[in-house]
Amino acid sequence: MTTHHKGGVADWAADDTETLFRKYAETRNPAIRERLVIMHQNLVRFLAGKFANRGEPLEDLIQVGTIGLINAVDRFDPGRETKFSTYATPTIVGEIRRHFRDKAWSLKVPRRLQELNLAANNAAEQLSQRLGHSPTVQEIGQAIGATEEETLEAIELGNAYDTVSLDSKLAYESESAPLTLAEFVGEVDISLQNIETYGDLKHAMDCLEPREKAIIYYRFFKDMSQTEVARRLNISQMHVSRLQQKALRKLKELLSE
Amino acid sequence: MEAGGEAAVVELRIPARPEYVGVARLAILGVASRMRFSYDEVEDIRLAVGEACTTAVEWAAKNQRQDTDVLVRSSISESTLTVEIIDDAGERQEPAESANRDPDPESLGALLITLLVDEVNVSSLDGGTRVTMVKHAG
Repeated sequence: MTTHHKGGVADWAADDTETLFRKYAETRNPAIRERLVIMHQNLVRFLAGKFANRGEPLEDLIQVGTIGLINAVDRFDPGRETKFSTYATPTIVGEIRRHFRDKAWSLKVPRRLQELNLAANNAAEQLSQRLGHSPTVQEIGQAIGATEEETLEAIELGNAYDTVSLDSKLAYESESAPLTLAEFVGEVDISLQNIETYGDLKHAMDCLEPREKAIIYYRFFKDMSQTEVARRLNISQMHVSRLQQKALRKLKELLSE
Repeated sequence: MEAGGEAAVVELRIPARPEYVGVARLAILGVASRMRFSYDEVEDIRLAVGEACTTAVEWAAKNQRQDTDVLVRSSISESTLTVEIIDDAGERQEPAESANRDPDPESLGALLITLLVDEVNVSSLDGGTRVTMVKHAG
């Protein structure tokens, strides 16, 4: 492959994925990186869609999936005989699954099921902390004094309703307008041209506890109030405030290193 | 958990049509929830089985065999769930290999399954395909 002169967008704007990856590997040009990320947004959307029935807004899943995509773009070695999408899929899916592990259930369910679902949710969170792993349905059922079937019904119908709500407007009403990558990055006041800094931030975020990370994410990437975050995570607003301060201190330290 | 170490078997036979994939997903949810799987693991199994069934149904459509069935057989032992998805949907033609094109949803689905369960094995049968997936609990 010929090496292009540094210069305008025109040099590579029409290149195919393979050529772009080769150029990015050579130059680490952030503009090429941005282009590669945008070119593969459909892959993230496709994969995020597969997880959309688990009670999380699709846009959130696309957002965390995009973090995986960015990592994959950075690490992809175009010299190897692997297609990028094959290479990136495990990374994207990994981020999405981590997101589920890291956060509590969202509860967009009819009132009849809401109480049981809420109880199961609280129990799941407490049990996760106590046991150090995501609890089983039986463990949750015991904790809330419900049979397996009841627990499962609450979970299952919760899921079913969430699938409907995702298809309708409900999931979007509660969120701000669907986010694009540009908006996502823009919200933390880092332009796409300056995406290297974002990489540092992402790295620093990885050093946070799951809950601290969730709080930073919701507060600053999703623009939610402390009260809203508190409700999402089923902890008090005071607790959110404390964890947020701690997380911000950590991030500052990590980023000034 | 089953007494005596004998595997319990749950079989579900669905028509090879898209509207029945959801039934298989619900059934496997019930089966997997009986075991020591976490929420997330149960959902992973459900997604994997859904993907395998969807692929089988899509082949049935491509091969004009929508009138066939897909058998979903779950074998439950104390700590291992084995799910076989057996279709009668005809031969699966390998997609033409092209180095620079992104994989189609189907091969992404297959890749996704490998990420969600511990073992996957795909074998051709006479006139169909068997996908076997294994997930270990706790």
